[in-house]
Amino acid sequence: MPKRKLDPLPSAAFQILLSLAGEDLHGYAIMRQVAEQTDGRMRLGPGTLYSSIQTLLEENFIEEVDAREDEKLSHERRRYYRLTSAGRKVARSEAERLADLLRPARTKKILRGDYV
Amino acid sequence: MSEKIYALLLRLFPSRFRESYGEDALQLFRDRARDEKGFFPSLRLWLDLLYDLAISVPREYVYARPALVGAFAGQRMDGSPTFFLLENESPRPGALLFGGVLSLAVVGAFSLAMTYVGNYAGAGIKVSGQLQVSSRFHQKQALQPKAEDESGATHRPAEKDVNLDAAERRRVIDGAVVNLKEHYVYPDVAQKMADALVAHEKRGDDDAPMDGGTFAALLTRQMREVSPDRHLALVYSDTPLPQHATGPTPEDLAHYREAMKAENCTFEKVEMLAGNIGYLKLNSFPDVSVCGQTATAAMASLNQADAMIFDLRGNGGGEPEMVALMASYLFDHPEYWYNPRENTTQHSWTRSPVPGNRLADKPVYVLTSARTFSGGEQFCYDLKMLKRATLVGETTGGAAHSGVFHRIDDHFGMGIPETKPINPFGKPDWAETGVDPDIKVKAADALETAKKLAESKLRKK
Repeated sequence: MPKRKLDPLPSAAFQILLSLAGEDLHGYAIMRQVAEQTDGRMRLGPGTLYSSIQTLLEENFIEEVDAREDEKLSHERRRYYRLTSAGRKVARSEAERLADLLRPARTKKILRGDYV
Repeated sequence: MSEKIYALLLRLFPSRFRESYGEDALQLFRDRARDEKGFFPSLRLWLDLLYDLAISVPREYVYARPALVGAFAGQRMDGSPTFFLLENESPRPGALLFGGVLSLAVVGAFSLAMTYVGNYAGAGIKVSGQLQVSSRFHQKQALQPKAEDESGATHRPAEKDVNLDAAERRRVIDGAVVNLKEHYVYPDVAQKMADALVAHEKRGDDDAPMDGGTFAALLTRQMREVSPDRHLALVYSDTPLPQHATGPTPEDLAHYREAMKAENCTFEKVEMLAGNIGYLKLNSFPDVSVCGQTATAAMASLNQADAMIFDLRGNGGGEPEMVALMASYLFDHPEYWYNPRENTTQHSWTRSPVPGNRLADKPVYVLTSARTFSGGEQFCYDLKMLKRATLVGETTGGAAHSGVFHRIDDHFGMGIPETKPINPFGKPDWAETGVDPDIKVKAADALETAKKLAESKLRKK
């Protein structure tokens, strides 16, 4: 059976890595953070979210930290995830790869503005 | 409500994913449902979820990796079996077909085996071959039929694969209940077992079509679920069980004496082997009143041996008294001699020391096979537990026959323990499991192996 690969990094996985760049988050917080950082364009469903989390865990790009409650939400214990240094590295190289992809677009003036 | 629907939809995911993240996925659903109230947010939520299912369910199946599927199914506990889940995804159709055929074959074989075991136990209680009369001795008054239904005893056909009718089942269960209450050594447990039998019957647990052997095994299982007593068994016999057995008649005794004389009391070989190793092939433990002298003479002729080999590979059992008598030669002091058939009394010790006997401190080897039964197994078990002998050969047959036999009808009976002997060894005896040898070799090779062991032991001295 094919092995799920993170090369190239799927955009969901990339967004999850980015969402964890600031702080440790649980699943729902990751989903909200991803929605926020993509202006609501990417709303990760449970299946996509947790299968990506599973793959990222297996590749050691993220790690699980002690489960705890989120005071802002219901009193349920939640699994929190943390970005590892390997995960940070892979997110950075993905960002650079995307930037490289965009460079020709920018030079050809296809992109409006130069915010990338 | 909507959470329940989503929980159902989650079942579309492979079980491995559900086990790892099913609860988290539900939690995420609850969080979103709580935060996204109102018609449009709810609609968007459900559209997201359905889209997510459509994308991720196929992907989860495609990417299911067997290497990661292996997992502990339960926490390992000392002494309890541990199972590993190897593959919990949908198997291939070919595998399903193969599994189906294999299951059918195994179920078929199992039911055949159950019939065989049931009949076997029935035959075992009568004890085989030349010892038929002897066996009556150690059943003593046990063969008195109890709870007998005279009218019903005859209309049961002898064919073994005929399914039992309801009346027959009822009769067997009633008989079992009466016998349990009347004879079982622990009255409170007997009551619980009787209740369990009746409850199972009421629940229709006994209603599937089955033959006598299977039915006997089923009832045995139901009783042992209450209390795991391996000496308690309900057995089925193909051949009709004798109506009244009141002990041996004078004719039986005369016949038995003749048979024992003709067979040298089943002391088949009494020899000194090379290296001064005594060899005794004994095929039963006959009645002491008939064969005591033969036994004494045999042991006397081996008295000068430096090591002893008891060959019990063809020993079908016999009288506990003879077992204890033979063992008496192997100790220089009275040794507690465990016998599951009798209460512990002052007779539960060997008659050691035997005057003039020189074998008490000599190495002893006992040859065993899967056909070593009952009294033969008692000899093996006790000597092994007392660390007095090295058992060489195969695991023994596993027939303790410690229960007293009670007839229920022509084909059904029960072995019921009526004694509370003390087993000082703190381990279950050989009932149904047999005695494991210390040196496991094929029965056919056991003599050569034991000879070598004895020779090398004697050389070291």
